[in-house]
Amino acid sequence: MPEEIRYIQVVDEEGRVDTKLEPKMKKERVMQLYTTLIRLRTLEARMMTLQRAGRIGFYGGSVGQEATATGSAAALQPQDWVFPQYREPGAALIKGISMETLLYQFMSTAKDIGKGRQMPVHYGDRAVNFVTISSVVASQIPHGVGAAWAMRMRKANAVAMVYYGDGATSTADFHAGMNFAAVFRAPCIMWCNNNQFAISVPREKQTASKTLAQKAIAYGMEGLQVDGQDMISVYAAAKYAADKARKGDGPTMVESITYRVGPHSSSDDPSRYRPDSEVELWRKKDTLERMRHYLRHKKWYDEDEDAKLHKLADEEVSAAIAAAERAGPPSWETMLEDVYAEMPQHLQMQHDDLAAYLKWKEARA
Amino acid sequence: MVAVTVPSDDIVQVLREDGSAVSHLEPKLSSQDHQKLLRTMMLARATDTKAMNLQRSGRIGFYVPSYGQEACQVGSASALKPGDWVAPAYREPGAALFRGAPVKALLAQCYGNMADAQKGRQMPSHFGSSAVNLITPSSPVGTQIVYATGVAWAMKIRKDPKVALVYFGDGATSEGDFHVGLNFGGVFRVPCIYFCNNNGWAISVPRDRQTASKTIAVKAVAYGIEGARCDGNDILAVIRVTREAESRARGGAGPTLIEAMTYRMGPHSSSDDPTRYRPAGELEAWKRKDPIERYRQFLEKSGIVPAAKAKDLEQEVTKEVEDAVIEIEAEAPVPPELLFEDVYAELPYHLRLQRDSLLGERKAGSIVEYEQAEGKFPL
Repeated sequence: MPEEIRYIQVVDEEGRVDTKLEPKMKKERVMQLYTTLIRLRTLEARMMTLQRAGRIGFYGGSVGQEATATGSAAALQPQDWVFPQYREPGAALIKGISMETLLYQFMSTAKDIGKGRQMPVHYGDRAVNFVTISSVVASQIPHGVGAAWAMRMRKANAVAMVYYGDGATSTADFHAGMNFAAVFRAPCIMWCNNNQFAISVPREKQTASKTLAQKAIAYGMEGLQVDGQDMISVYAAAKYAADKARKGDGPTMVESITYRVGPHSSSDDPSRYRPDSEVELWRKKDTLERMRHYLRHKKWYDEDEDAKLHKLADEEVSAAIAAAERAGPPSWETMLEDVYAEMPQHLQMQHDDLAAYLKWKEARA
Repeated sequence: MVAVTVPSDDIVQVLREDGSAVSHLEPKLSSQDHQKLLRTMMLARATDTKAMNLQRSGRIGFYVPSYGQEACQVGSASALKPGDWVAPAYREPGAALFRGAPVKALLAQCYGNMADAQKGRQMPSHFGSSAVNLITPSSPVGTQIVYATGVAWAMKIRKDPKVALVYFGDGATSEGDFHVGLNFGGVFRVPCIYFCNNNGWAISVPRDRQTASKTIAVKAVAYGIEGARCDGNDILAVIRVTREAESRARGGAGPTLIEAMTYRMGPHSSSDDPTRYRPAGELEAWKRKDPIERYRQFLEKSGIVPAAKAKDLEQEVTKEVEDAVIEIEAEAPVPPELLFEDVYAELPYHLRLQRDSLLGERKAGSIVEYEQAEGKFPL
């Protein structure tokens, strides 16, 4: 029995625009999103350099995936929830997390919301409903579905955007989350960033299904594909799914077809498992270049303005790095906080011991 | 747009409810085959009826009945070869009986006495037999799906032309093990048949609350494998669909997810009261689709098994069950010292001590050894 999976592409690789699918967006909004892509690209380049220089311990980059994270989050409203994987700094910036806040977390500083207790690139901010990242693959899927279900029960007019990768679709959490979401019509968007590799496992070894979007059929859910390299397409798909969820018409699975141009993390060497020619092919599908095609089509592109945006992004990231380096590490006392309302005796003893030791050490020096 | 092929919603049916057949769909079977199939279904039903009575009279502790699902069990098992592997859930005594496990062995497992090959270590209704490649069932839902996938993969790696058939219910399809098993099966194209007995209820959870998918078979599309549906109360449809899956698996074309539409006419187990959750009238409707009655009518109409012969078979299987119970009840209970066997080649001191205490034979030697070794591994 043949069935069709919808594929959304607004701006193609040659810059042709499908005006029938093109979402209505004002110039200011489009420029704001384009600026976010530039800020992200700048951030990514600087962070990998900082990691290599030993100034941050670890980094998980997302070069190539800027559009899929940014465009999807742009379709959300302030009260909506984001359950990120770990490659969506674009969604964080769109939700209103500042560059400084990210850097405070990457450098485990005193100003980090998480007080330096998480691995770098595992940020979160309750002020903007951006749930803290967990490395464990797909664990955020049931959390996101549960939050969406809670929003439905509370009649809160909020939806949840749940991000995960192609590898996550093989986990039990994906299965339980998708099934539950469909049965209970939870207002969520099950956003799969298919970047072709789960660390070193290629997409065709991950599952024998022709597309990932068709997995939605197994749950009685709508599944669709989108060109993840085109932010306008991504926005159109996310807007459709978010509006649908908000109206009470249930969840949608979106397979955003993208590529991780960089390594899985600063601890990975992708040349060991994928050919450089493949990476080059995807570099040609660059997310910024596609946006420039669109801006030219709209006659909104200005080369001088573009150079200015790059310069501003560079200054913003430099300032954030400087601010984070000034902030210094969190004080050691903070590691005993936030579990007990009143510190129990055994922790008080450890606290006192460590305080005495540090005092002794200081005196010796 | 990307075109994908989705398993059909159509339910394969060969035998109509009145026992007439869609002749061009009939699987090839000799009259001996037909007789064996009918007899095994009757034997499974007689075993169930007797075992529930034994449980109600306190002679066995627990039982999982499967009446109503005999066609699924017997029909699917008949599509296999003797060396193939079967990983049952816990509602497939018919598959065990068809593969040649004696009814005495099945019921002895429920008694857990010296007639039981498992030495009374499993809950009743958890029968397995290495003699017929039938893996011992485990109550945790869906676990067997992963094992069967692994066994099938092993057969493929060894180039051993065997297939694995795994049974599970509609409730198991929501499990992580289902997802992982079928995904792995699809990627590695293992020779496995995923047989879902969709009996409409996962204990008290109805099918429509289990998943929002249109059918269970459609879930195959998520794993790039074939999916098919059949009338699970029609043994000829079950055989037809399972044979197709079997030849696909053995021919190297990968696994199939089969959804057999059936109904558990009895309670989930001897500890369940289905009147608390199932609508009145549902059972009556399904009783009219009784798989044994339907098949018996077909065999009678087509002259393969005359009515008198069917009656004889029924008496024969009832006697077989009664005789088995008499033989089992003559056996002694499992002596407590057997509890300590079959894990270690030589019993370590801490277990020797426990065994001796249990038997009231605290031997001074063991205690000294225990005290000397205290705190060391194993504790």
